[in-house]
Amino acid sequence: MNGPLIVQSDKTLLLEIDHEQAAECRKAIAPFAELERSPEHIHTYRLTPLGLWNARAAGHDAEQVVDTLLTYSRYPVPHALLVDVAETMARYGRLRLEKHPVHGLVLATTDRPVLEEVLRAKRVQGMLGDRVDPDTVAVHPSERGNLKQALLKIGWPAEDYAGYVDGEAHPISLVTDGWELRPYQQEAAESFWHGGSGVVVLPCGAGKTLVGAASMAQAQATTLILVTNTVSARQWKDELVKRTSLTEDEIGEYSGATKEIRPVTIATYQVLTTKRKGVYPHLELLDARDWGLIVYDEVHLLPAPIFRMTADLQARRRIGLTATLVREDGREGDVFSLIGPKRYDAPWKDIESQGWIAPADCVEVRVTLPDDERLVYATAEPEERYRLAACTSRKTAVVKGLVEQHEGQPLLVIGQYIDQLDELAAALDAPVIKGETSVKERQRLFEAFRTGEISRLVVSKVANFSIDLPSAEVAIQVSGSFGSRQEEAQRLGRLLRPGTPRPGEERKVARFYTVVSRDTIDADFAANRQRFLAEQGYAYRIVDADELGV
Amino acid sequence: MSAQPAPPAYRSLADQLRAWSDDRLGQLLRERPDLATPAPHDSRQLASRAATRASVLRALDRLDAAELRVLHSQALVTQTPHWTAADVLGVDPAEVAPVLDRLVGLALVWQAPDGLRPVTTVPDALSVGPPETRVPVEPLTAEAWDRAKVEDRLAGLSDPARALLAHVHAHGGRGTTKEDPTTASRSGSPVGELVAAGLLVPKGRGEVRVPGEVGIVLGVDAGPATAPALLTSERDASVVDRAGAGAAFEVVRRAELLLDTWSTRPPGILRGGGLGVRDLRNVAGLLGVAEGEAALLVEVVHAAGLLAEGGDVDGDPVWVPTDAYDAWSTRSVAERWRVLAESWLGSPRLVGLVGRRDERSKKATNALEPDLTHPVAVETRRTTLEVLGSLSAGEVLATGTGVPSLVAHVAWLRPRRPSLRDDVVAWTVEEAAVLGLVALGGLTTAGRALLDGDPARAVSALDRLLPDPVDKVLLQADLTAVAPGPLEAEVARRLQLVADLESAGGAGVYRFTKGSVRRAFDVGWSAAEVHAFVADVSATPVPQPLSYLVDDVARTFGTLRVGHAEAFIRTDDEAALTALERDPRAASLGLRRIAPTVLVSTTPLDVLLPRLRDLGTAPVVEAPDGTVRVARPDVLRARTARARRTAAGATAAREAAQVSAVVTAVRAGDRAAESRPTPTPGERAGTPAGPTNPAAALTTLREAVEARATVRIAYVDNHGSYLERVVDPVRVEGGQLTAWDHRSEEQRLFAVHRITAVDAV
Repeated sequence: MNGPLIVQSDKTLLLEIDHEQAAECRKAIAPFAELERSPEHIHTYRLTPLGLWNARAAGHDAEQVVDTLLTYSRYPVPHALLVDVAETMARYGRLRLEKHPVHGLVLATTDRPVLEEVLRAKRVQGMLGDRVDPDTVAVHPSERGNLKQALLKIGWPAEDYAGYVDGEAHPISLVTDGWELRPYQQEAAESFWHGGSGVVVLPCGAGKTLVGAASMAQAQATTLILVTNTVSARQWKDELVKRTSLTEDEIGEYSGATKEIRPVTIATYQVLTTKRKGVYPHLELLDARDWGLIVYDEVHLLPAPIFRMTADLQARRRIGLTATLVREDGREGDVFSLIGPKRYDAPWKDIESQGWIAPADCVEVRVTLPDDERLVYATAEPEERYRLAACTSRKTAVVKGLVEQHEGQPLLVIGQYIDQLDELAAALDAPVIKGETSVKERQRLFEAFRTGEISRLVVSKVANFSIDLPSAEVAIQVSGSFGSRQEEAQRLGRLLRPGTPRPGEERKVARFYTVVSRDTIDADFAANRQRFLAEQGYAYRIVDADELGV
Repeated sequence: MSAQPAPPAYRSLADQLRAWSDDRLGQLLRERPDLATPAPHDSRQLASRAATRASVLRALDRLDAAELRVLHSQALVTQTPHWTAADVLGVDPAEVAPVLDRLVGLALVWQAPDGLRPVTTVPDALSVGPPETRVPVEPLTAEAWDRAKVEDRLAGLSDPARALLAHVHAHGGRGTTKEDPTTASRSGSPVGELVAAGLLVPKGRGEVRVPGEVGIVLGVDAGPATAPALLTSERDASVVDRAGAGAAFEVVRRAELLLDTWSTRPPGILRGGGLGVRDLRNVAGLLGVAEGEAALLVEVVHAAGLLAEGGDVDGDPVWVPTDAYDAWSTRSVAERWRVLAESWLGSPRLVGLVGRRDERSKKATNALEPDLTHPVAVETRRTTLEVLGSLSAGEVLATGTGVPSLVAHVAWLRPRRPSLRDDVVAWTVEEAAVLGLVALGGLTTAGRALLDGDPARAVSALDRLLPDPVDKVLLQADLTAVAPGPLEAEVARRLQLVADLESAGGAGVYRFTKGSVRRAFDVGWSAAEVHAFVADVSATPVPQPLSYLVDDVARTFGTLRVGHAEAFIRTDDEAALTALERDPRAASLGLRRIAPTVLVSTTPLDVLLPRLRDLGTAPVVEAPDGTVRVARPDVLRARTARARRTAAGATAAREAAQVSAVVTAVRAGDRAAESRPTPTPGERAGTPAGPTNPAAALTTLREAVEARATVRIAYVDNHGSYLERVVDPVRVEGGQLTAWDHRSEEQRLFAVHRITAVDAV
């Protein structure tokens, strides 16, 4: 009667983290509840159908969920919510996709009325073939993914027992000289393998690439890796060469520049979605080899056309890697049905407290627009306003002051507008990486930054994803794309990779500055950012530029 | 017949009632409350009332399937002298005895000299057959057939013969045949076969009859002697209680939210007296529940007298919270729950019908519509819950199959209820779950106490489980405040002013936004007050971003001032004014700059103000003397409906008092009747006096019907002639006496109001 959990009738769960049972309770509810926010005192989880189905897929039943809620709940749990949990979970697995010895892929049910209901649904029209027997209906093999997607939408998610093709065998093993998989990476790879297909959620900097490599070593088969951009592709390649038995020749890159198809091929989302004369010319890559495993990096960014392709790839094992299942387009359900349920999840703070990623200190620095700029801002067109507010000349001075305070520490300045970045680069005497910078030049600069040759770098949003900058300790954000949660997560991720501790320090604490113009639309976006970061559990402070003494 | 000592026999039902103890008589009046109002004069009148068709039908509605079957059998038994109800049913007499005893207790059966006899209206009410069949059927042979013998003979029949017998039985037990029945036994036809077996009795002129014993065996279906079992599963009773308490807490919270909202924005009353579909949908949205549950809440608060018809500011009819709501909302959660739950228990309304289309009018039924009441609602609801209450602690209805088994169980207990009953049972379970009387398929401790008529115990049982109110919240850097339990009312009210409620339930999650903080400023709080309140209410240090938020809003708050007289906008902030003036969205406001720091507007203030806020500014309205005006919406109240229903406990107490008063009255009436000099029949012969008032005449006639006695009546016929007739009354119904007239040797009808005297012969 004095548990750490408060179950609200709107299906949010409030976990009081200072409670002695908090850790135990967190472990118990993690399989079925999605962590929504984790500020300092009370963490909020939410029960969603997807979360409950994820739990079903992982082998939990409704009784366990109800029991957990009742065990840890401080107050009486609303009856309606328990009923709803049981009903939602009971919907999963009534339908199963199976291999039939005669008819191939079939949709079978343990509950005939459900099948009848589904057969009459508009969404699944044309995906199903003949009725094999009252409880079984044939499925066109090419519709396996579409069908799963459609069934999820009508609320009867199917469990996929149809199995996978092995693909073309190719020996891959991890070369663990001087390093080894961290326990959670090992667990993630195993959870994925036992589940067949699915998504592994790990924070930025937690080493998702290695989870991918470990899965490849499990599969022992040719692998297609889909990544967001070319730089990221190169890094995957370097990492794989370093960490596995694969040699450079075995790994191909399939991007705008080169089109190699090797036993392990790394392709960018962009090249696959290039459309010429209404067709996708590079789609054949997917059929170029008999892939045994497909890795989707940053699955939350997976573009819609690739979803459709994924629907055709249902017979192959798929692993999605991401830091967050939140999609700005709200297509979380598609990730669930097409790639698979969440197989592994570890919250940032947990991995941080284990010392695998660095803690972060977030500071919002507020500058006041000079009067003349304020007048310009006030009279500007709405679409110009953000740019004006974000690029105020006051920010340059503040950034300069901050850089001086952190002299000697590796430092990134991140921004959105090229003019502003150029101006900052000039003021700070630092190199700038932007869209037009060649890949070669980028890699050179990153390498120099990594080795400590240069200690400051000004980067545009090209650096948002999948670029390993292990030694960044300070980031200063001057502008961003309208306070998107996902961008914020990625940028913070730049800082969270633990570098080698400097002498005299145990662990570095990353500093994340955001410079914001007061009383403008910039400040409104900053409010979103603040909420997001505070919800993630990071300390968040606001200071006036004047108080900084710069 | 029976080896047991024969029970005392009575001349009439009235005699039997007179012989009963006060307790037994009281019990009868409790079980058949319609007999007690208005209080009968004496036992004769009581007996006469108990035999009326309407009252018997009511009593039958409360019998279960087994009791009905025994009663049915007992009604059949009167057709043959050799059988008992136990024979009819083919069971051990010991099984039937307690049921018969109960039927006697209900005054549906009485102890006549020739055995137990159902009151005459019973067979009719049971549709056992036309009343004339109560004339004993001739025994078919000299020896009495018992059940085994009948069954034996039936078993030996050919198929066509069996079909024919069933047909004749289904058509009143009489049939005609072209064959000569007396000789047919040799013809080998089905009729002949039946006649030969003694299963049809020839009656001359081609008529055959099914003898009584055979009809009984053919007509009585034994059926299950006990109610179908409930399908249950195990569930810890404390878990059931906690889940129920969760629901109870929610229902109180939602009722409060609903009525608070309607205090300022009451919905209109439809011309037909209900709540509009759109308004109901809004309620569902507001409360975050399905429409059915929303309708239930609306109905429950109405039944509890917290909501009534009233007028809005324009005098249009609207649904408004009553002044009772104000008293209600100050009580503890458990007390408030008790009020709602008791109102629901006693409400004759079928909320489950809301949203269904009427068969005839094709119109969807609205919540709060006057014709939602149904006579079976209260009794069926109670029966259902009592059945649930009969489960032992730790036993609940099984998921899925439990409710259908409950429906079947209740159907057995009350077979004569209309078809709607099955729906009502299912609704009761759903609704009780919403109200927290039932959870996870089992009755909660609080619900049980309430059913037992012990509201105090219910309240304390619930109180123990409900979260204690808290007065502190946890403030977090993401600008939320979490109250880890229900907040004390005053704190909650103030917190809701400065922060938006984001998630409610056992705990509350509030979010501070610019808008919410401004709202506090709008009603006159200062920044210092907000800071002080936040610091005071927080159990943890106030996070820095929150202090910044308050200061930020305070800094911009009131920078713009909006004039009342001419609708001016003035500010010291020229840039802001320029922004406003240039804003294309403000073009329609007719803004004109009259000074570097002042704008005037042609738009009326009530339009202008929200538009300005929409544009993202934070203006305050200035009074003519330059002070800031603050406004709060007025709260509306209706008067409590006059016919306030009293609590169930009080009703029960009143009933108990009434029953003993009636018993006393009946006894007094009997004593008065005794002390009156009653002439013996012999004395009265020749003097057609007897009772002259119609009530007394009716009573005497009913008595005669029950006693199968012969009476002499004095009667004025259609031509105004005064006649006397000796008749055997068969039944009294609808103002008419049906009787066998000894003179004309036929059954005749007499208008009761024309009978001037009735007299025993």
